[in-house]
Amino acid sequence: MPNPPKSGQVNPVSRRQFFRNGARVAAMTGLGALTGVLATRGTAAGWVWQIDPAKCLRCGNCATHCVLEQSAVKCVQAYAQCGYCQLCTGFFAPEPNELTTAAENQLCPTSAIQRTFVEDPYYQYSIDENLCIGCGKCVEGCLRFGNGSFFLQIRHDRCLHCNECAIARVCPGEAFRRVPAQSPYLLKSVAK
Amino acid sequence: MKPEFKLLDRREFVNFVSRSAALLGLAKVGSESATAATTSAEQTSTNAFAYDVSRLQKTDPKLIAYEEVTRWRSPRTSVRQIAIGPGDQVHVCAGHYISVFNPQGQPAAEVALTGPADSLAVASDGTIYAGLRDHVEVFDAKGQRQAVWAAPDRKSWLTGLAVGKQDVFAADSGKRVIWHFDLAGKLLGRVGEKNASQNAPGFIVPSPFLQVAIHADGLLRVNNIGRHQVEAYTFAGEFEGAWGRITTAIDGFCGCCNPIGFALLPDGRFVTAEKGLPRVKIYNHVGEFESVVAGAESFPENARACNGLNDCAHGGLDVGVDGQGRIYILDLVTSEVRVMKPRA
Repeated sequence: MPNPPKSGQVNPVSRRQFFRNGARVAAMTGLGALTGVLATRGTAAGWVWQIDPAKCLRCGNCATHCVLEQSAVKCVQAYAQCGYCQLCTGFFAPEPNELTTAAENQLCPTSAIQRTFVEDPYYQYSIDENLCIGCGKCVEGCLRFGNGSFFLQIRHDRCLHCNECAIARVCPGEAFRRVPAQSPYLLKSVAK
Repeated sequence: MKPEFKLLDRREFVNFVSRSAALLGLAKVGSESATAATTSAEQTSTNAFAYDVSRLQKTDPKLIAYEEVTRWRSPRTSVRQIAIGPGDQVHVCAGHYISVFNPQGQPAAEVALTGPADSLAVASDGTIYAGLRDHVEVFDAKGQRQAVWAAPDRKSWLTGLAVGKQDVFAADSGKRVIWHFDLAGKLLGRVGEKNASQNAPGFIVPSPFLQVAIHADGLLRVNNIGRHQVEAYTFAGEFEGAWGRITTAIDGFCGCCNPIGFALLPDGRFVTAEKGLPRVKIYNHVGEFESVVAGAESFPENARACNGLNDCAHGGLDVGVDGQGRIYILDLVTSEVRVMKPRA
């Protein structure tokens, strides 16, 4: 039997009420913690940085400002948009000695573009991502004279996802933006 | 006697400290802003990987053989092609219209189309042929619609027209072929498809600028832009020859696809127009480089258009020639028409 309340004293909490309140507090705390975890995880893994090709100015900062020793930004090729040109201005220097794959004729400072003969007069151009430093020089050459099939993208198998992208802070074209991790690339489409 | 120092009360001390802190904070913010501005300016002005073609954008003055007579701006934007009709009337297709000017640039007439035109030809009797993406619209000299011809294929993209005494030829960038019609629009044949029996190498068309013209020698001329050549064909489709070489040098054609436009002088020589490096040049009747009409430095806005955010698919120039041999240059970026004549 509970002790009778002394005169002038507030009603003490009964054991049943104490356990009930305790359970409520624990449930609310757990719910809050779960919400917090989900919210944090959603921000970190749900969104990633990417380059909008329509805003990229090919300034060279992607090659020099990434926190990685070799930038996570790479040139990618939109094959459906490529002209498979014999004289690819993304591959060849502005005034090549001849249209061969000799290093002195190439535009890329690291020879990261592979040129493969398809059939007269078509050549295929592919990017070796282990060599590409994301400088955008080929992107500029392709845009200037060609169809613009080369463009820069952050490769998410290399990006550290540190959430404070060092390149985004210095991008003069404000081309970096957050995109859903489920569709992490901003690809070029072919005009119909 | 030693000077006596006045002690600060608490209110004065707090005031002093807060002012100092505010000043220090302001100085730090200013310093960071200046540093950031400097860094940003340095980053944008110095690009170790810059693509520099400035040398190619300058033309040797000794090569320039033409001078400008006049110029005017088309009242309509989205200009695509220019053609010179009888009486040296200048026709420009711009969006949903064909604008007609007299040789001095005064507007003379305007013809409305059902859609944007990419190509244009004017017959010797003044009949106007406008090539839209999937059909040809025919107008008489007064601008009255006479006929509409559907393109022969659903993938057609008509980008060039040429009209002779009995024939009309339509260059199709979508199907990479030249369609041969009679004056009533009946399809007679196709020219230029890859065909070993006719020695035809096939058209390479990375961007929609395939054009066709009828030369005074009775052969067709087509700009095979992906091969950087001008090719000759009979009306029956036999390949007869080609000229042009791939190079960034002034005597050739560079980029993915050039020359994007061409016209024929009364004596049979060729006037070519390019994109990327927007320039207009003269080649003799066998395709040997002769001179420059206007170099890339004459079209700074056009050159910049290919240096912006988009590719160069809608930059470049087109050309026409009148009966006196004057050259009309249409700037696809600024919508300007420039009239050029040989230097005295």
